[in-house]
Amino acid sequence: MDERMKHRTATIAAYLLFFAVIFALPFFLNSFWTNRVATYLVYSICAVGISLSWGYAGILSLGQGLFFGIGAYMLAMSLTLAVPENNPVPELMLLNMQPDAVRDLCCVTPGSFLWIPFRSVAFGMIAAIVVPCVLAAGLGYVMFKRRTTGVYVSIITLAFALIGQLLIINNQPLTGGFNGLANLAWLEIGGFEFDPYGPSIYYLVAGTLLAVVLVSRAMLSARIGQVLKAVREDEARARYLGYDVENYKLFIFCFSAGIAGLAGMLFTLTAEFASPSLMATSFSISMVIWAATGGRASLLGACIGALLVNFVGSVASESPAFQPVWPIVLGGLFVFVVLVMPNGIAGIVKDLIGRSGKARAVGQEVYP
Amino acid sequence: METFVIGLSIASILFMVALGLAIIYGTMKVINLAHGEMVMIGAYVTVLATKHLGFNLYLCLPLAFLVTAGFGLVIERTVVRRLYGRLLDTLLATWGIALILQQLIRIHFGLGLFGIHIDGLGSDLQNVPVPGELQQTLHFLGANIPVYRAFIFVVALLLGAVTWWLIYRTRFGSQLRAVSVARNTAAACGVNDKRVNMLAFAYGSGLAGIAGVLVSGFKTVSPDMGTPYVVDAFLVVVAGGVGHLAGTFLSAGILGEVQSFVAMWLNDVYGRTVLFAVVILILLFKPQGLFVSRSR
Amino acid sequence: MQNRRTFIKASGLAAMGLAAPAILRLDGRAWAADEIPVGIMYSLTGTTAIVEKSMNQCAQMAIAEINAKGGVLGKQLKPIIEDPASEPRIYSEKARKLAIEDQVPVIFGCYTTASRKAVLPVVERRKGLLVWPTWYEGEECSKNVLYAGSAVPNQQLENSLPWLKKNLGKSKLFIVGSDYAFPRGMAKTSKTICQGIGMEVVGDEYLPLGHTEWASMVSKIGSSGADVIFSNVVGDSIVAFYRELRNQGYDFEKLPLCSSTTTEVEIKAMGPEYAQGSYVSLPYFQTVDTPQNKVFVEAFKAYAGTDAVTHAAMEAVYIGVNMWAMAAEKAGDVSPEAVVANAGGLSFDAPQGKVTIDPENLHSYLTPRIGKTRADGLLDIVDQYPEPLLPLPYSSVGETAEKRICTAGGAVL
Repeated sequence: MDERMKHRTATIAAYLLFFAVIFALPFFLNSFWTNRVATYLVYSICAVGISLSWGYAGILSLGQGLFFGIGAYMLAMSLTLAVPENNPVPELMLLNMQPDAVRDLCCVTPGSFLWIPFRSVAFGMIAAIVVPCVLAAGLGYVMFKRRTTGVYVSIITLAFALIGQLLIINNQPLTGGFNGLANLAWLEIGGFEFDPYGPSIYYLVAGTLLAVVLVSRAMLSARIGQVLKAVREDEARARYLGYDVENYKLFIFCFSAGIAGLAGMLFTLTAEFASPSLMATSFSISMVIWAATGGRASLLGACIGALLVNFVGSVASESPAFQPVWPIVLGGLFVFVVLVMPNGIAGIVKDLIGRSGKARAVGQEVYP
Repeated sequence: METFVIGLSIASILFMVALGLAIIYGTMKVINLAHGEMVMIGAYVTVLATKHLGFNLYLCLPLAFLVTAGFGLVIERTVVRRLYGRLLDTLLATWGIALILQQLIRIHFGLGLFGIHIDGLGSDLQNVPVPGELQQTLHFLGANIPVYRAFIFVVALLLGAVTWWLIYRTRFGSQLRAVSVARNTAAACGVNDKRVNMLAFAYGSGLAGIAGVLVSGFKTVSPDMGTPYVVDAFLVVVAGGVGHLAGTFLSAGILGEVQSFVAMWLNDVYGRTVLFAVVILILLFKPQGLFVSRSR
Repeated sequence: MQNRRTFIKASGLAAMGLAAPAILRLDGRAWAADEIPVGIMYSLTGTTAIVEKSMNQCAQMAIAEINAKGGVLGKQLKPIIEDPASEPRIYSEKARKLAIEDQVPVIFGCYTTASRKAVLPVVERRKGLLVWPTWYEGEECSKNVLYAGSAVPNQQLENSLPWLKKNLGKSKLFIVGSDYAFPRGMAKTSKTICQGIGMEVVGDEYLPLGHTEWASMVSKIGSSGADVIFSNVVGDSIVAFYRELRNQGYDFEKLPLCSSTTTEVEIKAMGPEYAQGSYVSLPYFQTVDTPQNKVFVEAFKAYAGTDAVTHAAMEAVYIGVNMWAMAAEKAGDVSPEAVVANAGGLSFDAPQGKVTIDPENLHSYLTPRIGKTRADGLLDIVDQYPEPLLPLPYSSVGETAEKRICTAGGAVL
């Protein structure tokens, strides 16, 4: 069999197997594990976004947490307003308003009018994707037009996320501050209520993951995917060949931010809160590590990496024997992954498949 | 005037932490996220040495340098060495190392699991006694200047000078510069680039250790104290221009002053915000850093 | 080598063993009939682990004491300990595990309000119960939280601000805090009280959480004309703050400082000489002179080591565990609804004195105290109320004893 065909068949089989397992899982899980795995699948969605921008376009964003957090906040604002006691004005504003303020969203606290459109849950859901995209577009436009690359992109996105986090914490009357938004209604669409512990949310998340992966695959196999690969390998050459490198990079950066926002929105549904801690540097770095563990240049690998790292972390921290050392286990895992399997689980699997076929002379490439 | 002095003292701490990082990042292209943990280890060396060996703060400076340099050496030889040329991978691996080091302190290097507890380790907060003469306040040009801050400033200047001498006036320094500009060419000319890397990493870590000693004098010592420093220091290094000592020096100064003045006029939250914004602007408009005179 | 291989095998087995319940579709685990599982959830790693670790120990000690006396309703309490790693995200996840997977009827846990807010949806939706220990900003009225031993702003401010004015003759107050809800809530209540007693608030400033660069703020305080500082600063920043005050040459005799957050732990951590002479307003100090406290301090030292200190958050954990057990005994049932329904009006002879749960808001009557830091890191009690004070969780938005906002029916703003 042709090497390429074989590789393609194996890839498709892997995807089918993965999603078959994911979709079958709720039949075997109790409500706690259904909810927990759904949260991990949310992280998988996020990892897919990272894999796209980092693995396929060489843009390592350390500000992904900001986009994730904003996505979470956008829907959380809508779900806050959906709680009956929070009508017409959310409690957090009543607690922070001037005593003589008008009790209306228009002017109860400075800036509270920004909440008005969030009375519609649909608006919150759309904003969860659009706002991160728009922010990423603004930042990305300046960055890529200035031809910022590599580690500078990482640092700029990191600093950008830190600013976002500081401002959200500082504007307590508007955002709930450090405590975040926790008193949320359940999502209700057309009279159907999504129970965070039931299969409904699980399938919402799993379905979204499937859709995100399919759209991303389609995109990568189209022309843009080829151009991105060219950009990753040699940006200057791609530019000489006449491709508008900046626009391609900008597109993938926004796309990845949108995915992070979408994941953040789903996080609000499974975890029932949004908080500025989601925008912390450490969480952004964790996301990168999920993608790296699974294989940064493999969408499926990134999904599995996110599931695996979180599962190992939870199990290690919950077993009495490992409790005192679980951060060491986790830290050791990161070092191990980077040293021994730079292309992650996906890389190892690819190697195994390649080795069983007879001709695979190309050594393991290491992506930037 | 007082605001300016405060800015200087913020800057001198930034500079000390950033200096080691500048060498490691500038010459080896390694993003060392465990650098903050070197600061932390330096602080713990101070705690342990003052508690168990009766050292004072001054004696801890060389001791912490040696211990953290030792840690740096081990990290370089076991992990970082295998990652040269893979910039972003170093970021992930050193983050893992940082997690491990923090937890090792919490569990008394594993002894805690067997019920052995060393006074001064563990997840508790620790503190360091500061010599009386450093607790005074000076009056200078109408401003109150804490002696301890002045002391940090002087040590920072000294470290800067020593590092400058080492890099620009010694044989090791010229090898280091050669390796950082063109590793393969330097190796071909007979420079043992692995040894240079190892020593540079150890030296950079040692500088962080010294910073740790000084930082321990005005804040608590705890296993995760280092994390905030590494981000700030990294911003300083990148904004100053990679591989330029003077750039690091000046960018630490500018960022320290920016934070201090904005914090005075508005508040500390905006001080931090503006600091990050300035770094973003610098990187966007002078991606090579502020003070690069020539490009390679 | 052999060791390593065994280790890897063992870890693999351990992981599989732990994953096993995942395969079962049953909710919860089967518990022995003579055991009651209870959740303990204080961070053992991360930024707030320093304080939370001692709270974890205290909860375990209190449970061991109850078990030694025969347990609750004749059953032994079986603690299940989780490490939420100081992150609200993990708090939420671990609370779910405890409430749903382990089916514990009660969770003793949380230290920061941010973590409580992340846990709140879990206990409210799943009809669970959280026993919350820390003094906090109030502004909450949940019927799934037992606020046992946790002070609210009126219990820390109604005593201390008038005391600063009357006994030290100070009238220009600078309020400084970390940037989150507790310091902001405290500042609001402080301003109301200051208006009533003729004190002037000359500054109200915040510093990002975890920030340790205090030079600018201290110099701002110096130039504000304040003659007394009220600090709601938390965590790592406390130590840097006190040291910076000293380094810039301030003296607590001339510029007194009263804190609502600096416990024995932080004083020990900064080195007592830096805090000596400063005031703290909390319902409990290690030096409280009651027979119960002598027993408590000795028991804890025997449990955690002779150099361990006891502090307010820890005493509140002790109150929480004991009052939960009392309420469960009274109800004859450990279910959250039964415990909450029976907790109101219960009194416990705590180390700080008598503590009573208010039936309306499920907060606690506590005894406000002011302590002055000594050279050895403990505090001399310079003022205390003769009687426990009514908790008013919404005092920041004008709640008074006559006009209650949080009642048994919930909060009406």
